[in-house]
Amino acid sequence: MADELQVSIPGRLSEVDAVARRVEEFGDAHGLPGPKVYVINLALDELITNVVSYGFGGVAEPEIRITLRVEGGALVLIVEDNGQPFDPTREVATDITSPLAERPVGGLGLHLVKSFADRLSYEFADGRNRVVVEHDLASASV
Amino acid sequence: MDIEVAEERDADALVLLPVGRLDSANARAFEAIVMERIGAGEQRMVVDFSRLNFISSSGMRVLLLAAKQLHASKGTLVLCSMQDHIHEVFRISGFDQIIPIRDSREAAVAGS
Repeated sequence: MADELQVSIPGRLSEVDAVARRVEEFGDAHGLPGPKVYVINLALDELITNVVSYGFGGVAEPEIRITLRVEGGALVLIVEDNGQPFDPTREVATDITSPLAERPVGGLGLHLVKSFADRLSYEFADGRNRVVVEHDLASASV
Repeated sequence: MDIEVAEERDADALVLLPVGRLDSANARAFEAIVMERIGAGEQRMVVDFSRLNFISSSGMRVLLLAAKQLHASKGTLVLCSMQDHIHEVFRISGFDQIIPIRDSREAAVAGS
């Protein structure tokens, strides 16, 4: 398998499963630990959900491009879309302590992406959002 | 997108076993099943993760909704048999503080 996985999908949630399978194949081919493959697929599900749910209003041909590669001891995931500008790295308070009855529903996805990533960056250029999520292969946590 | 969910009765608990992935594509289908069972009067629900290998926040949202609904009617939701990396996601989300998670089905049914 090539050292880089590249997939381009239309902006629909139903595409998530097919992408996840491709990521699992990439993980198998490169001997990546299962928990690392899981957090990559978790980040993908959360980022794709976000852009499909909020980013594609008024966009004629919604498209998401996904790139995954191993680079310098890290797994590098790049998600690009042609939706509305949205910075997922911005600070948002996520309530993870309220008791059950008061716990708000929603808003967890980006919290998970940020919590697991070793590095996270964002830029908007040439009409596209570009999010880069990096996970060090050496780090012990998932 | 559909999701396969096995259902088993264990003592007076209803045990749900979602299979494979519980993600943004099929969370609504899972929500429909869970809420239908609660609406039909189930008070003690266990979700057994032993056949689940992936969950994202879309799936966790359904569990939070179910836990809230059951809590409001004096019922219980208990989760069990999670792989370590999935347990970590529940810990980072603070869900492990509001939804009981047990190592085994037996412990979940006993404590539900």
